[in-house]
Amino acid sequence: MGFLKKDNFERDAFIGLIVWIFLLIFYFVIPSPGIHDIIQKVFILGLFAMSLNILIGYLGLVAFGHATFFAAGAYTLGLFLQSSIVNNLGSLSIPAAIISAIFISTVLAAFIGAICIRLKDIYFSFLTLAFQMLIYSIILALVSITGGDQGLMGGFPKPPFLGIDLGKPFDFYAFTIFISIITIVLLRQLIESPFGYGLRMIRDNPDRPAALGFNNQRHKLIAFIIAGSIAGLAGSLQALLDVGAYPEWAFWAKSAEPLFMILLGGMHSFLGPLMGAFIFEILNDFVTANTRYYGLVLGLVILSFVLGLRRGLLDWLLIKFYRK
Amino acid sequence: MEIFALFDCIITPACLISQTAGGLKIGMLLFLVASGLTLVFGVLGVINFAHGALYMLGAYFSWQVMSITGHFGLAVISGAIGVGIFGLIFERLLINKVYNSDLLVQILLCYSVILILDDLVMIIWGDEFLSGIGVPEVFQVPPLFIFDAIIPPFHIAIIVISMIVALLLWIIMTKTKFGKLVRATAVNPRMLEALGINTNVIKAGVFMLGSFLAGLGGALAASLGSVVSGMGNSIIIESFIVTVIGGMGSISGAFLASIIIGMARSFGAVAMPLFTDGIMFLIMVLVLVMKPEGLMGKKK
Amino acid sequence: MLKISGISKSFGGIKATDNVSIELKPNSINALIGPNGAGKTTIFNLITGKISVDDGEIFIGNNNITNLKETEITHIGIARAFQITNIFSTLSVKESIKMALLAKIHGLNNMWDRFSSHSVNEEANNIAELTGLKKVYNTISSELSHGDQKLLDIALALALKPKVLLLDEPTAGMGPEERWEMIKRIKELWQKTKMTVLFIEHDMDIVFDIAQTIFVLQQGSVIAKGTPKEIKKNQDVIKAYLGGGKK
Repeated sequence: MGFLKKDNFERDAFIGLIVWIFLLIFYFVIPSPGIHDIIQKVFILGLFAMSLNILIGYLGLVAFGHATFFAAGAYTLGLFLQSSIVNNLGSLSIPAAIISAIFISTVLAAFIGAICIRLKDIYFSFLTLAFQMLIYSIILALVSITGGDQGLMGGFPKPPFLGIDLGKPFDFYAFTIFISIITIVLLRQLIESPFGYGLRMIRDNPDRPAALGFNNQRHKLIAFIIAGSIAGLAGSLQALLDVGAYPEWAFWAKSAEPLFMILLGGMHSFLGPLMGAFIFEILNDFVTANTRYYGLVLGLVILSFVLGLRRGLLDWLLIKFYRK
Repeated sequence: MEIFALFDCIITPACLISQTAGGLKIGMLLFLVASGLTLVFGVLGVINFAHGALYMLGAYFSWQVMSITGHFGLAVISGAIGVGIFGLIFERLLINKVYNSDLLVQILLCYSVILILDDLVMIIWGDEFLSGIGVPEVFQVPPLFIFDAIIPPFHIAIIVISMIVALLLWIIMTKTKFGKLVRATAVNPRMLEALGINTNVIKAGVFMLGSFLAGLGGALAASLGSVVSGMGNSIIIESFIVTVIGGMGSISGAFLASIIIGMARSFGAVAMPLFTDGIMFLIMVLVLVMKPEGLMGKKK
Repeated sequence: MLKISGISKSFGGIKATDNVSIELKPNSINALIGPNGAGKTTIFNLITGKISVDDGEIFIGNNNITNLKETEITHIGIARAFQITNIFSTLSVKESIKMALLAKIHGLNNMWDRFSSHSVNEEANNIAELTGLKKVYNTISSELSHGDQKLLDIALALALKPKVLLLDEPTAGMGPEERWEMIKRIKELWQKTKMTVLFIEHDMDIVFDIAQTIFVLQQGSVIAKGTPKEIKKNQDVIKAYLGGGKK
């Protein structure tokens, strides 16, 4: 087990496996559907927030339209499974639907990203917002395909594959967390690679890399595309969970959610956004159970983080107990 | 897309006039709100995401005064002034803490205020739609017929009021000492401080003026429609569109962009009823791609 | 090694650089001097491709680099350190140098290796020793002293193993003692690496001490060039500095 001492991919994969097994055991130890639901949602939203944090935390670009890709993944998956392709593919449908969802959001991110990364600062943010709202308007307008403001209704089949039946709560729980953990481990590899450090360089000093012979724009675009594809994956998992897709997922307010998670958990720690998703979900669950005024509570919490702690919880903990 | 419907409308005087008047009404109301947003950005460098929430407050405040006094003019004025004062408190308590923070912090601060205000108005005024403050009696007369186009006199009043506000704003910004100080603050606040001028007062004043405009827009909107929590969440996006298209920080640009957006909405409703919003965002994307500094903005 | 022939550049009708020709011999150390606003940094920006040349040509060896992209020119063999330190605030000295080394070998697209265990560690170590940054090797750049930040900026340029190294006021913002230490360090670097160096400097004592050839710039034109001895005696130069360089 010597490889565990080093910070490398094998170690991360091993830790990921342990966490997964732990959460599977947890499922049976605490047999509460409510808690299982929270955990799988934390992972789905965590993926969404972590993908955005590639841009915000590591690249320093405030993208304000990230839900575009979340929605693209969700609608692609839903439309795929509602189509007649399912009859032909049979048990391969779910994997094929997820792959298509990732593919479509990747293509969309490549297109939108190529245009957006040419702009800086607030202009970049506004262009991502504009594209998001354009996509939102298109979803609302294409009633015959997307169901317009009703969303993708009528459900879709979830044919079992490789012995996994996503209709069963345990299978869904195990599958979602497994996919999420794999993605997180791969994402950590990306962030800790020379490519990932290139992102930090651009964030710290966007002017200097060119004088080192290094192409900023291409780096930014690749990061944008990867972030979009992971958001698409998160969206497809959300659509599988809710058996549908809704236009609100493409509305600008949905793009604010991962921002909250990043703020709550911390943008400078790799797992910060995941922790943020956890806080966000717990808050959501706890507050909505006790009051109708969820926005008020969430608003006050965010305000206290912005003005009080001034950084996310994980960032704060790491600074306090780990780094000096 | 019903392109023929659009042609039919343009060649029919009644449709053309009523859609143009409708577009002007939408555009001018939008200008009231968006000019405040662009003013605040131009001088303070803050994107006030909560500007739409201030608009909503304007509607609620005027509704409240209307239900007590029954006086339309008083309701609108007090709605606007009330939000102006609220804006002053907001600026002193919160916004001034993030002037030098990065964009993300500003967005999150403002967004938390939106969440809080949206719920607070529900707690105070309930979560039902409140029927608006209605049209004042003087304007409760039969509509005008111009080439068979039906135009409510009150809509003309709104256009005129907004034009007057635009003119006043222009005079304040270009002809008064306050305006000169404001413009100087936007360019070089350090210099003013070195000259012994307290820029905090100017910044607070600008924010107050911006909030006043949002409140005025909200109060007038309350006369045309109903009042509800969250009503600011679409006007804020439209205000962003206007701000971007016109050029961030440019009030004359916002005026032009408001008319463009008003017309796009009005005629877009004829041509593509399901995609009216999409047209606006398409224009926003095109402007950002081709001329990011906006139609009347200064190139950086 | 570096040959600039007759380059010009105008900004809005004003000539910032007017028919400038400079030729640097291989392994030489040269100074570019001139009053404020003479256009020294503009010439650096033109050489490195940060801004485009209106007229004239620039060569490195036999490579015509006129109006190539900044990244291309860097890979052909020009590296620069900046007047205002231009480093990566959250990266450590070690990480910064490694990144520059990787940029040189197009290694920044690598997503499959861990940066921390990447093979350029040894080379980075050498550069840190060469520049005297070993004592702060694991310090975060933003926490370095001003002098060390300047050195790091130079180290980043060195990591690119350039044929020509451009240094824009390497001693700016330093106290007298620190300045001489920096100059000693640069001289050492030059002797060890045998690069061609062109630097901008205000302190005439420093310039006369280490430069082999000096180019004097005034209002965008080279008004004199020569050895320190020649420049000291040149009437035009004396006039440019004493007779009010700025109009």
